[in-house]
Amino acid sequence: MIRVFDQGIEGAGLFMIEFGDIVPYFSVYTATLFTFAIIFTLLATFSIPEKQMDIIFGGDAYYAKEIKPQDLRFQRFVAIACGTATLGAVVTGDIFNFTLFAAMIGITNIGIVASSRSHHVLNAAYQYGIVAMIACVPLFGGAAMILATTGTLSIWSLAGIGAAPILAKILLLLGVMGEGMAPFYIGKAEITRAQGAPFILMVHVSSLLLFLRVVEIILVI
Amino acid sequence: MIEYLLSAMILGLLLHGIHRKVIARVQGRPGPPIWQELLHTLKFLFKETWIPKTASQGLYVGVVALALAIWSAALILLLTGGSLLLLFALYLIHKIIEHGTGLSSGSQYSKFGAIRSVISAASELPLLASVALLYLFTGSLMISDIEAYQVINGPLLIPAFPAAIALYMVILSKIHYGPFSIIEAKELVSGYWTEHFGVWRGLLNAAFGLKTFVLLYTFVMVFIGPIGLPLTLLAILILMITLSFVCAVTPMLSPYDSVSIQTVTTGLIAIYIIYLGVFA
Repeated sequence: MIRVFDQGIEGAGLFMIEFGDIVPYFSVYTATLFTFAIIFTLLATFSIPEKQMDIIFGGDAYYAKEIKPQDLRFQRFVAIACGTATLGAVVTGDIFNFTLFAAMIGITNIGIVASSRSHHVLNAAYQYGIVAMIACVPLFGGAAMILATTGTLSIWSLAGIGAAPILAKILLLLGVMGEGMAPFYIGKAEITRAQGAPFILMVHVSSLLLFLRVVEIILVI
Repeated sequence: MIEYLLSAMILGLLLHGIHRKVIARVQGRPGPPIWQELLHTLKFLFKETWIPKTASQGLYVGVVALALAIWSAALILLLTGGSLLLLFALYLIHKIIEHGTGLSSGSQYSKFGAIRSVISAASELPLLASVALLYLFTGSLMISDIEAYQVINGPLLIPAFPAAIALYMVILSKIHYGPFSIIEAKELVSGYWTEHFGVWRGLLNAAFGLKTFVLLYTFVMVFIGPIGLPLTLLAILILMITLSFVCAVTPMLSPYDSVSIQTVTTGLIAIYIIYLGVFA
């Protein structure tokens, strides 16, 4: 068993895909994250949405909300885009690409929430959008600091040499936390007003997988 | 490998039964027989099953398969001495399972359970702190390396005691009837899995039995080390009984208190990690 980067962090290396100097890699760890991202993206692509139960006030009657397919077209599209960005983020071998994918996840997360017509949910999307935009500063700032210090953003070159400044790692983590903060905003909004499955679930999936990947990157570099 | 999975599943369900029995005896009740959870699971597997009209069908069924898949993978990972970071990832993906289970049915009860699952994401923080502290001690996150470290240097339970406390809290937060079990509180009927019944419930029960065994086994492996199968099982049993005592004498916390306690614990461990990193 050959460990990735010769470090005891993420298990055996499986294979890599070379796109010029960009080399995404599949270790046991990143391949597992990739697999889960694919599964949930497929669920978002093909699953029909839940039909929320709604109570009629003033009585004890309730009914299942009917959701028209055209209402879901955009939400399904951004959920799939979010899944695709997550796929890129969990296997990329380059920190700049990682930050781009992270920002794209943030944008698509806003889209998933903002595709609801309820103004309560739109408020949550707006607030999250501000957080995601602010988080871009430490996210790209961290990557810029690593580039300025080491002259490269390739995880392959940075692995194991300990050259990345600790402040840059903290900034990277803060950036990802900001981009992946969406579940806490939509958690409240989705309680009663926005349908949850399977599209909003992509927000949670992407945030979690992004967080898991940045932990691995921080430990490796 | 299938025999290991089935054994771990059955042992996990028996541990759930022991858990209920200990809680009952501490509270002065006779309690159910210890094989009750096993019987529950078998009963559910043979009951009539369908998918609710309001459910997102693919997700409703998919989360059940994923629950079984992630905890089976976690057990295999433990047995093969794989990466603790990957185990941490699988544990976090379980959060998605909880959330997906709650969201998929369309029911408000399960949805509230799912929302609580999001806000109780703080329960993952102690595990991250625990993993970080172990990395600081052993210089590796491979379970095989951590075991080898303990063979040479003795159990990590004493030197990495705060990490052990953190992992203990993580397990406590995932145990039924515990102080942090806000996602399946009785005011939400059964919380996030209220609408999963019949075979779906049986399979989820089996997956959660596996989960309990894997978490307890992880604790023994990374803090006590390789001590042979009989002693490992004994350690798992003792650990389970201590958890049951905590659950028996502690009321379920409010969601706010639950998140606060878990966050404060992580904060304290983070301070200890920084202290070790800077001064030790």
